[in-house]
Amino acid sequence: MSRPPTRARPGLIRSLLRLFTVQGSWNYERMQGMGIGVAEEPLLRDLRGEGGDDGVAYRAAVARGARFFNAHPYLCGLAVGAAARAEHDGLPPEQVERLRTALCGPLGSLGDRLVWAGWLPFTSGLALIGVALGLGLPAILGFVVVYNIAHVALRWWALRAGWTYGAQVAEALREPLLQRATALSGPAMALVVGAALPLVARYLSSAFFGWARVALAGVVAGGFALLWWQRSRLTGVRLGLALLAGAALAGWVWP
Amino acid sequence: MSLELQLLLLAWGTLVGLDLVSVPQAMIARPLVAGPIAGAMLGDVATGLQLGVLFELFQYDILPMGATRYPEYGPATVAAVSAAHAAAGTLGLGLGALVGLITGMAGGLSLHALRQLNTRAVRRAAAALEAGDPRVLERLHAAGIVRDAVRAAVVTALGLVLAQVARAYLAGTLPPRGVALLNVAAVGAALAAGTAGTLRLVGRGSSLRWFAAGIVGGTVVAWLR
Repeated sequence: MSRPPTRARPGLIRSLLRLFTVQGSWNYERMQGMGIGVAEEPLLRDLRGEGGDDGVAYRAAVARGARFFNAHPYLCGLAVGAAARAEHDGLPPEQVERLRTALCGPLGSLGDRLVWAGWLPFTSGLALIGVALGLGLPAILGFVVVYNIAHVALRWWALRAGWTYGAQVAEALREPLLQRATALSGPAMALVVGAALPLVARYLSSAFFGWARVALAGVVAGGFALLWWQRSRLTGVRLGLALLAGAALAGWVWP
Repeated sequence: MSLELQLLLLAWGTLVGLDLVSVPQAMIARPLVAGPIAGAMLGDVATGLQLGVLFELFQYDILPMGATRYPEYGPATVAAVSAAHAAAGTLGLGLGALVGLITGMAGGLSLHALRQLNTRAVRRAAAALEAGDPRVLERLHAAGIVRDAVRAAVVTALGLVLAQVARAYLAGTLPPRGVALLNVAAVGAALAAGTAGTLRLVGRGSSLRWFAAGIVGGTVVAWLR
């Protein structure tokens, strides 16, 4: 089947805008599937007129697009573009299904390493350093702008790469820039957040004096040890609430 | 605090809650952004920044992967800033942290409830979805987003009410030493959670050396300032 480049571009932009809502109807049955289907739909509209089948191919493709899917939200575009292209290229339905299923794991893993465990803590760590050094609101604004430049670029790249490569989308994941960014993001995040922690500790404890500083050091060390060795049972929010309850109680009985 | 300001905070908390999962994930849901903006609305950027930093450290303790359940710190930070702002000079960080952590837990529970509601809606429309009806698909998706907006508004409202209650019943009841203890507990828990969460991300590989180098560098800069 011939490729439809003339209608591709407006469809891609509509699809990109819809991808920003990809998790809007996240559920335990299809996970991101509904959002993926909504984002893919503009790219499938050309199928309505093809083959004179009264939109049967289009409806079948829309139904397939909305089935179970789960990956990193910023990289979902890769699956949306690739699946839509595969539908246009006339691949058998079971092959389109297999393509979608095969993409879940790699896109989830790559996005988690690149964004959730890399770019996000890296940029937020830089903002923490900025605030701790007295930059204030400009540091926050800088975080939002810089983070989102990469965020939007990644979503756009993913969608375009998916549409360009179609069923051969695995080639897009071997892009050298992507490989380098993934390899660099871990160490860069570690360095920046590592530097942010002592600076933030100083910033938050600037009003503490004498015994309060000693107590803070004890609470941090004890809390860290508990969170590290009881990681399966204890979370930060539970530790925080327990410590605050204990502190409030001690504060009332302390003469 | 005036009704207009409370409504402004409610609107901001709703946007922040919507950003976390549904639209557009631009990270305004990060406490580091939600807190200072809430502070700016109240004319108290300093408190907003402090609580934003505090809850950002708690945020490092969680990774929003797949179907994992986690506290929601965006609207929680907005409520925390509201509590701390009005109690400035008496409880500050400690009261804000208390209100924020409870609101964060409620937010996490509400996300689970929302996902269950979405699941039920999808099951009800399974036949139309399998028939490839795009209108049903789009309507269900839009309904999910509206549900999330309502959820975020309810969580923020709950947090703001909690802040009001905490100010009315806790502020002034603790002696100065108790206030200091509460603040120490809040900052200590946040630093412990932030450090443990980051170390889990870093793991035992080569990044650990970079993390150690960062800690040393940050300590030197903090000591020199």
